Amino acid sequence: MLDRASSDPVPLSALFGAFLKVSLCGFGGGLVWARRVVVEQRRWMGEQEFAETLTLCQLMPGPNIVGITVCVGAKLRGAIGAIAAVSGFIILPWTVGLAIGGLVLQHADATVLRNILGGLSAAAAGLLIGTGLRLLRPHRSRWPRLLVAGLAFGGLAFARLPLPVVLLALAPIGIAVASKERF
Amino acid sequence: MNDLPASLVLAAHLLLLSSLSFGGFPTVLPDVHAFAVSRGWVTDQEFADFFAISQVTPGPNMILMMSFIGLKVGGVPGAIASALATFGPPCTMYYLAYHLWERFHDRPWQRIARRGLVPLTIGLVIAGGYIMASSAALGWQSVAVTAAAAALMLWSRLNPLWILALGGAVGGVGML
Repeated sequence: MLDRASSDPVPLSALFGAFLKVSLCGFGGGLVWARRVVVEQRRWMGEQEFAETLTLCQLMPGPNIVGITVCVGAKLRGAIGAIAAVSGFIILPWTVGLAIGGLVLQHADATVLRNILGGLSAAAAGLLIGTGLRLLRPHRSRWPRLLVAGLAFGGLAFARLPLPVVLLALAPIGIAVASKERF
Repeated sequence: MNDLPASLVLAAHLLLLSSLSFGGFPTVLPDVHAFAVSRGWVTDQEFADFFAISQVTPGPNMILMMSFIGLKVGGVPGAIASALATFGPPCTMYYLAYHLWERFHDRPWQRIARRGLVPLTIGLVIAGGYIMASSAALGWQSVAVTAAAAALMLWSRLNPLWILALGGAVGGVGML
């Protein structure tokens, strides 16, 4: 890939801080912010490399967003970088989240609170859809790829197939499509 | 009260599940539900509330959700045990997988696999947004909020926090 050997190593504090931000901003899933911080703001990965890393994480067990955190940390600073990034992602937000969440849960029946939560989740869902469409943009001139993306979407969203089924069925098709492509 | 054993049983189960949660932690939620509710550790309503709160709380959602269950079962130590069990094994696996992935980065078969799997990944991301939207949808107003948020994300460089705040405000004044 492009200039992998950068001149100065990224400080561990920058990794900690960046993923603290991803975590704190990540209402309804951190993917939106992971892409924004890693690709747009810090330029630690390109759009393509980010999408590939996300692919790797989706094929592995566990929370995908934690996987991205580990991979970005490992790419920039190895094992210690992965630990710094994961610490930033988890320690503070987890503590604050547990405390605030515990409080909110005691008042979970209040109407206003329910309404605000409803509006937040509707917007959060839109952000996730927008992020996906942005990732799709570089592929818009290649219809076989759009088809694979569409089938994955339909299989999960409309047919409500279990995710392992969708992955197992479409991975060979995606790879077959890619092996036929010319550049 | 034998709280400590219960937290440990929960943590051990989460340790197993997190190692098997291919496709993200939400895929094993039904299993966690059955495990925790059948033992009388949490009620159905509590489980649903834990999910809603963890979805709209900033931070690591699924880790937080498992910690709410751990908190209920064994207090703060239970919450910590649940959190560690949820993210520990996957972190180790992600790290090892990343190294293998990088080692074979320039092999032709890997280039083809990467190119072929990326559109699949993107389709899954959009489906995740769609499923979230349909579980949050109360009527055309919330569909409009979702569509507006997606459009702003796609065509503007507006900070997503403003978009979320807007969504929360529209909900808060009772327009949804």
